[in-house]
Amino acid sequence: MTEDDLLETHLQELRRGTVVLACLRLLAQPGYGYGLLEDLERHGFSTDANTLYPLLRRLEKQGYLTSEWNTDEARPRKFYRTSAAGLRLAAALTHESRAIAAAIDALPEED
Amino acid sequence: MDASTLTERYVAAALRTVPEHQRADIGEELRGSIADQIDARVEGGEERDAAERAVLTDLGDPDKLAADYLDRPLWLVGPRYYLDWLRLLKVLLWIVPLCAAFGVTLGQVLTGATPGEGIGAVVSVVLAVIVHVCFWVTLVFFILERTGHQTTDPTPWTPDRLPEPRATGAKFVDLVCALIILAVVAGAIVWDQLLGLVRLGGEWMPALDPRLWPWWIAGLFVLMAAEAILAVVVYARRSWTLGTAIVKAVLNILIAVPALWLLWDQRLINPEVLSRLSDLAGETVFGPAGIVVVIIGLAIAVVAVWDTIDGFLKARRSR
Repeated sequence: MTEDDLLETHLQELRRGTVVLACLRLLAQPGYGYGLLEDLERHGFSTDANTLYPLLRRLEKQGYLTSEWNTDEARPRKFYRTSAAGLRLAAALTHESRAIAAAIDALPEED
Repeated sequence: MDASTLTERYVAAALRTVPEHQRADIGEELRGSIADQIDARVEGGEERDAAERAVLTDLGDPDKLAADYLDRPLWLVGPRYYLDWLRLLKVLLWIVPLCAAFGVTLGQVLTGATPGEGIGAVVSVVLAVIVHVCFWVTLVFFILERTGHQTTDPTPWTPDRLPEPRATGAKFVDLVCALIILAVVAGAIVWDQLLGLVRLGGEWMPALDPRLWPWWIAGLFVLMAAEAILAVVVYARRSWTLGTAIVKAVLNILIAVPALWLLWDQRLINPEVLSRLSDLAGETVFGPAGIVVVIIGLAIAVVAVWDTIDGFLKARRSR
């Protein structure tokens, strides 16, 4: 593995949990798969489609998201929305990530 | 919808392993998402065919995507069970092939197989047993992994479960045990020759062939004395070494090989004992090539081999 690959692996690991947080926050307003993918990109949480779609299913199964089919438009879309439990989870995750950011700031400075 | 487009073929491939009741839902969403992504690329100025190809390439292997959708493990035995699987497999691979080898050897000798046939049968059975043990253990864990059990041992790990330090085999108690065993065996042999250890038909008779006295027995006593000296040397050095392990191996060979040869030649066990026992229980059980004689031979071989391996293991451990 080259150094670049290693860096990429570590960055991915660091970002993994933050995608869940970003989804839960963004889906306070209902959204569908591809739209959410673009929103995430725009907010700086770039994610692969093949990670996001299964993640949405998992969060729905765990009760943090609810879903509904919208067939009004030409292309039927499944809209997801953060549930009450999802909002509580988002608050907890936000709090935790701020605590982590503060803890990182408090680490000894590099030269 | 045209089933021959790349998208349709991709969705069909992904849905192949999805349970029936989720198929429509996942399929419809996946199809819509792919179409959205293609549209976005086309708006960005790409050819539709190239865009479709690029989107599907990014989504990757449809079987993997389906597994992610369904939270299905993409491994045979995952981290939750790996250690339990490994430990069980190790234990079974120590025990089962050894037992099988012993059983098959016994059977081969009793049915009068030639050494070539016997070795061939043992090797093929042991290989088959190893393959079976690996396969069935892994299959059980494969099923456990996919039926949502927690772990095979639900209690948390504590330091009490740390393995005990391995015995060095060079403590004072080991020396005393070795000397006592040698003394008891020597005493039993003398007693056997003078007064007899077996009581048959109302009289005591020696279990070992009386013709072994005095030279074969004297030779055995010399080797046993060497074993006693070896035990003292190991204790004095406080550990086994490669040298002492080799001496131990040589002594085992010097004792076991003549013993087996004498047994084979019908000169180890008192023929009087064998013939009387054969009268009682039949030739196949106690006769010159009977089951008991074969078991004695195997026991001599197994003890010698095990004792030799034990010496080398202790030597390796104390390095």
